[in-house]
Amino acid sequence: MNDDWLRTFAAELHHRRVAVDAARHVVAEAATHLRDSGGDPWVVFGPPQQYAGAIVESIGTAPGPRPGPVRLHARGITKRYGRKTVLRDATLTVRAGQIAAVVGANGCGKSTFLRICAGLISPDAGEVTVSGRLGYCPQSGGTADFLLADEHFVLVGAGQGVARGPARRAGRAAARQLGWEAGGNVQARHLSGGTRQKLNLTMSTLSEPDVLLLDEPYQGFDQGTYVNFWDQLSRLRDEGAAIVVVTHLLNQLDRVDTVLDLTPAQPSGRIAPGVRGGRP
Amino acid sequence: MNRLVTVAEMTLRELLRRRGVLLLLLLMPLTFYLIRRDAYLGQSVRSLLLGVGWAVSTAALFATTAARELEPRLRFAGYRPHHLYLGRMLGLWAVGLVISVPFFLLPLVDGADLRYGGLAAAMLCSVGVAAPFGMLIGTLLPRELEGTLLLLTVVTVQMLIDPAGSGAKLTPFWSSREIATWSVDHTDEGYLTRGVLHGFAVTALLVLSVAAVASVRLRRRRHLRHLPVG
Repeated sequence: MNDDWLRTFAAELHHRRVAVDAARHVVAEAATHLRDSGGDPWVVFGPPQQYAGAIVESIGTAPGPRPGPVRLHARGITKRYGRKTVLRDATLTVRAGQIAAVVGANGCGKSTFLRICAGLISPDAGEVTVSGRLGYCPQSGGTADFLLADEHFVLVGAGQGVARGPARRAGRAAARQLGWEAGGNVQARHLSGGTRQKLNLTMSTLSEPDVLLLDEPYQGFDQGTYVNFWDQLSRLRDEGAAIVVVTHLLNQLDRVDTVLDLTPAQPSGRIAPGVRGGRP
Repeated sequence: MNRLVTVAEMTLRELLRRRGVLLLLLLMPLTFYLIRRDAYLGQSVRSLLLGVGWAVSTAALFATTAARELEPRLRFAGYRPHHLYLGRMLGLWAVGLVISVPFFLLPLVDGADLRYGGLAAAMLCSVGVAAPFGMLIGTLLPRELEGTLLLLTVVTVQMLIDPAGSGAKLTPFWSSREIATWSVDHTDEGYLTRGVLHGFAVTALLVLSVAAVASVRLRRRRHLRHLPVG
């Protein structure tokens, strides 16, 4: 029961834009207090929303860049594979300092939508406008089996003219945010699925993109890494990045600013227009 | 320049770590050479060159297929298409040269009476053609098995076709065969000239084809408009 309360409390702090580090500190303190006292959080602190409100009044919120300029605008995206229309007229706008989630059932075109936004495949109709540098993390793959993590960082760094030493250091620092020490002498093919995804994610953030597209990047993550992942997204958002995450885990939607639900609405199989939810 | 060198270096690192595959690939030229050694030296050397071409083009195929998912990401990181395919090609040529050295020394140790300058030129032609040839197949065919079967077909045709026929000139490794004939049979200079010209022409054509296919595959799509950060 404590875990549920703490999770709701943490999400509420995040939603109220309490700085990531401060929120983590407050949640840890509350968890320690509950563990030591053995009390019921609903009795000790009250409803998590109410307690989060009191915390915000006490410590304030992080200055956010919102509302920032539009970084990604996908308009009227339609995609057909043969006779099957997987996307019809999907539209999404993400501003600097926002996280957007793309949700929907399996096969509803979430990854296709993201790949169109990344320019990896062409739509049958619609257009995408991106302001600034683009980063993309695929659902799987996207790494070189026989290279070390450091070599991946060097490879990505060289693309932007970053020297080897700084590229390695930046890669290791970004990996550490996900709770991974990346400096080992292990080829990518020998990494576990979750660690390999950490490498994947680290590569996509290494170029400091203005628009970051993530296609279910948390496959294989353990609980701690999953929390670190969302914390890192919040940090990037607070630094002004526009982030789009494809996800099927709806329990994290309270941590995002906009939701694009691609689930077909009609049982006949016709696809409804893309945007059906979201918070300003 | 740094991007080219980095891609070339990583290609080299990747290939040199695939030790099992490399060893198996090296078996083919060696077997080709040894199996015909008792019959006729010329056939043996020509088979050796074809084996080197096979080994390098198969390595190129594997490297290209393995990089298929990575390359679009490297485009986001700031690479242009030519950094990626030229860098990879440089790495493959370097691997090809390394692979060639023991096979160049093999007839020498074997005491064969050859024009060794010609053998070196034939090796260079073989490696020069093989890298872009394997890359082209790897770019066009997404799966290793299909690419390997196509390569095997080409090598078999190359081995069985009448070298004097006009159709032989359309096969990619005809150059090294012509130069090898000059080297082994001490024929006139025409063989060397034809071989070198063919080698240059085919290499250039293959490099241009790889460039064209890679540029299309890694192009910026028309629906995506990039604006500077405002």
